[in-house]
Amino acid sequence: MEKVLICFAAALAVGLCALATAWAQSRIGAATAGTIAERPELTGTVIIMLAIPETIVILGFVVATMILNK
Amino acid sequence: MIVRMSKLEIAGPRGLLLDVLDTIRELGTFQLEEDGAAAQAAGLPASPQPQGADARTVTERLFLENIRRQTSEIISLLPALDIRENGLDPLAILDTIAVTASRHLATCRELAERYQALQREEQELVRYKVLLSAIDRLVKGQDTRSGLEYIGITLRDPSFVEQLCEALTCLVDGECTLTTTVADDGTLIGLIVTTASRAKSIRQLLSDQQMPELPLPESLGRLSLPERISGLEESLSATRRAMEETVAEQDRFARSWLAFYRQVNQWLVERLALLSVTASVQRTGMCFVIHGWALTEETGVLEERLNSRFGDRVAVEHCAILEQDLEKVPVALRNPSYFRPFELLTRLLPLPRYSSWDPTPFIGIFFPLFFGMMLGDAGHGLVLLTASLLLLWRRPSGAMGDAARILLISSSYAILFGILFGEFFGEAGGRLLHLTPILPERSRAVIPMLIFSLALGASHVVLGLLLGLITDIRRHKRGEAAVRIVTIALIACLAYLVTAYIYPSPWLVTRPVLILVGLLLPLLILSGGLLAPLEMVKTVGNIVSYARIMAIGLSSALLANAANQMAGLTGNLILGTLAAITLHAVAIVLGLFAPAIHALRLHLVEFFSKFVEPGGKRFNPLHK
Repeated sequence: MEKVLICFAAALAVGLCALATAWAQSRIGAATAGTIAERPELTGTVIIMLAIPETIVILGFVVATMILNK
Repeated sequence: MIVRMSKLEIAGPRGLLLDVLDTIRELGTFQLEEDGAAAQAAGLPASPQPQGADARTVTERLFLENIRRQTSEIISLLPALDIRENGLDPLAILDTIAVTASRHLATCRELAERYQALQREEQELVRYKVLLSAIDRLVKGQDTRSGLEYIGITLRDPSFVEQLCEALTCLVDGECTLTTTVADDGTLIGLIVTTASRAKSIRQLLSDQQMPELPLPESLGRLSLPERISGLEESLSATRRAMEETVAEQDRFARSWLAFYRQVNQWLVERLALLSVTASVQRTGMCFVIHGWALTEETGVLEERLNSRFGDRVAVEHCAILEQDLEKVPVALRNPSYFRPFELLTRLLPLPRYSSWDPTPFIGIFFPLFFGMMLGDAGHGLVLLTASLLLLWRRPSGAMGDAARILLISSSYAILFGILFGEFFGEAGGRLLHLTPILPERSRAVIPMLIFSLALGASHVVLGLLLGLITDIRRHKRGEAAVRIVTIALIACLAYLVTAYIYPSPWLVTRPVLILVGLLLPLLILSGGLLAPLEMVKTVGNIVSYARIMAIGLSSALLANAANQMAGLTGNLILGTLAAITLHAVAIVLGLFAPAIHALRLHLVEFFSKFVEPGGKRFNPLHK
């Protein structure tokens, strides 16, 4: 039972963070599509901006790994 | 590296202004200062000088602009022949050119209009020929001398044929025939044969039904259908002959004048560019002063050239770059060949200010390192290295060439870290090749890799803060320098405390460090204000962000291992090999993009924000 709860906690840590990242990226993606349409020279910067919310899921992944390695 | 700039003032008699500007443009190493502040300091009228008052300059510009417009039009109207230019100086015969150009422009326009009219006529005749050829097929076999009338029509849709037949039957009660055929261009053609008395009412019906009779050129309009066909052939031949004559005439004209007008046009473009630049130059009734920036290493050549051409009539003076000038100094980047491809990545950032740092060398050192640590597989690195070599084999230029060189360097680091981690297409490959992991295995030693990533992040961020500190000291910003010193000290204390927590030891005493943190926090608020602790938290967040090196590295290793396991599950050598190739291909593509984007992000967001001051103006020298 304890192992199930540990796995569930790890899954929650990474799953909720992934949802949050997806929501943030969807908002940024919509805005950046408009940006690229008007200023294509900002494509590189836009890709970097899209990667910014990935910190959330990466930290969630780190937390999940730490939970599983406890 | 940001290239050193010199602030120069070039002064001379007003009559030499255009010649001096021309010499400067030839060298292409001097950028004009467009701000009038420097001029005001020198006691000269601020730029822009009211150009409306200088009627002579305005008249000259209008005169030259008019000739340039005419010559451009002449060149565009003539055939683009490859003719060698002659060495005539347009300045000496400018008035003659103005007169000749208007006359020649009229000739060129007339020739071009004539050719266009003939071209339109030819297109129409070709179409008539196609349609009448179709009608000719219908006419053949009928007695053309029986006094019958022939009416040719085009039908938009085959369904109209039946409707038309019914309408004609009602109208003329069988005193006509309708035959159809398809022309060479796919148009459906109809021919109505009727008596002369019925022709008028049929034409009225066609007009009501919006099916006009095939129009013909006026010259053929009064002829009968068979005569029209033969007349059309003759008109087409005559039109084509006239077109050939017009082209030959244009060609003769171009061979006589095109090279001359090309040369005049080029001279005018350069002359007008020079005149437009004079708006940024400060002038009095007698002299001019040009303020601007030049690459320090090129100033000697500039002075030498001006001296050899104008002697002591033109003076060049070096001015000191003051604190208030720093924001106006244009920025030019120049890096050694190893770092130059990485300028592709720094171009994603706004240009740094002159007093700041060029981020290219730092990205050149750390980007491949982070990429290698995240990918960390010798097999995947080898595939990417081969891909980059194949790209470079084609000798690409520009952004593609730079990207291939970055990939070459980064994949070499991936191979190096793959050997250190003992991974070659996953851990199984490493074991097959007897690769002994020198560093801990990424898929098992998660916590040590996390600590290593955070330690690397702390070092990287502290390096950024140190570089920012150097900039602050150079620019005498004591307050900001103090904040950076306290921040660095706090990071060092935090690192010590975390180490003491993870690896408890009697040698690592925490109490004095905690007291030090307690003393440093008020100092931070005193030096940086109430928001300074928030900045400190942000800096700690930046360090934590480096955990992605471990996270992406771990996922990369697990993906490669999963590919090997899934290939093994097939139980068939061929299927297993195919599955392994496909899955590793996916892992390589992911392993190329994810580490590249995240390594770049660590630089742009976490590292450069500590020391790079954006807002520089690109060095844009006058050049031909």
